[in-house]
Amino acid sequence: MPDAVPYFDISDPSFSITSAAVHEARERSWYARTNYGLAVLRYDEVGRLLKHPKLRQGSVAWPAHNGVTEGPFARWWASWVLNKEGEEHHRLRRLMNPAFANRHVRGLVPRFQALATELVDGFAAPDRCEFVTEFAEPYAARVIALMLGMPEEQWREIARDAATIGLAMGVTLRDDLPKIEAALANLYGYVDELIANRRREPREDFVTALVRASEDHDRLGDDELRDGLVLLIFGGFDTTRNQLGLAMASFVRHLAQWELLASRPELGGAAVEEVMRVNPTTRWVTREARETFVFQDVEIAAGTTVHLFTESAGTDPRTFGPPSFDLTAERAPHFGFGGGAHHCLGHFVARGDMREALPLLARRLRAPRIADGAAWLPDSGNTGPVRLPLTFTPGN
Amino acid sequence: MQIVVDLSICQDHGQCAIAAPEIFHMDDEGHLVYTAEPGAALREAAEDAADACPVQAITIED
Repeated sequence: MPDAVPYFDISDPSFSITSAAVHEARERSWYARTNYGLAVLRYDEVGRLLKHPKLRQGSVAWPAHNGVTEGPFARWWASWVLNKEGEEHHRLRRLMNPAFANRHVRGLVPRFQALATELVDGFAAPDRCEFVTEFAEPYAARVIALMLGMPEEQWREIARDAATIGLAMGVTLRDDLPKIEAALANLYGYVDELIANRRREPREDFVTALVRASEDHDRLGDDELRDGLVLLIFGGFDTTRNQLGLAMASFVRHLAQWELLASRPELGGAAVEEVMRVNPTTRWVTREARETFVFQDVEIAAGTTVHLFTESAGTDPRTFGPPSFDLTAERAPHFGFGGGAHHCLGHFVARGDMREALPLLARRLRAPRIADGAAWLPDSGNTGPVRLPLTFTPGN
Repeated sequence: MQIVVDLSICQDHGQCAIAAPEIFHMDDEGHLVYTAEPGAALREAAEDAADACPVQAITIED
């Protein structure tokens, strides 16, 4: 029955991707039709389509959809490893992978802990904070600065420029293009300095690893290095900043779990996974059909955009039972870092730095509540708090 | 050198197949197929694949 399939206008400013309407639709159907393409709502189908050989990543045409077809931003977007396919993608990915291995992250753990402590110690008041400007932003930006070996004082500029580039992910891309491109030029400036410096004086660090990255005499070209490093700054900042804010919002609603995390910091990793399961900053992962194919009796035409809803999948009762938030539960993997060929490259870093931040925050910010004046990005494909005033009982 | 993949945690992301196509590939259904004893010359490729696996399902045994 065709009219049994739900429909959503996902471009409507009032569309809420984690609403009861979406969850109810999931109970009626594994997919929904939308104003452009299909939305996939259930865990099993999202998991399979994330890695389906007939689907490519879906966002390469985003700037063009918004009337941006030339200029530095369009060129940079096209350079992203995320927006490439086949051997062109695989070559870039192979060259970038080694710098992001999990074992490099372990060495950074004491610095993540020191940074989190310093930021909480620096709150303007003992029992309240504006979480975005006093913690999430500086934490995300300074982690990037320390990984890149940039002077840590530069973090404010990184944060400002990366946040401006974040506007490109929303509907104001065309209108905001001049300031987006100005911010992009700034980031290229820092990156060019870094690359030149490491060529003169190599270190045992992440940027040097990328500058030297090579495979069978193939190396990253100068443009690929610059484009890739700018992507890393942008990609690592916005997402981590937003995810930390969403983590606080989840734990405010589950204070017993926050207390548990304070007393058992070894649950930090589980906390990251559980937050990203029910409250991911990346709420849809976009794919596009390379060719027409049939999936579970539905014909998906070539060129169709397929939106994989990560929070709908992450709260699917078929996989996770009735709604719950439990750091001690054994869970199937979430999709907050995407999957398949384009699985987030920086996920070990993100997991590592959030795994240290959350237990420390749990110990220091007891019984947190959201105060008046909170503001949020729209509940759409990528989200998080713009402002998150919290009150709490100071802990040790 | 022996490649061991814990298939109970493998999620068929295919990062190993990108990192070391000489050893790993994804079949037409998107499932992992791999060579368990690829030979010592492919050690570095095997290690790259083990590093790249998002769920860390690959171990290399001597």
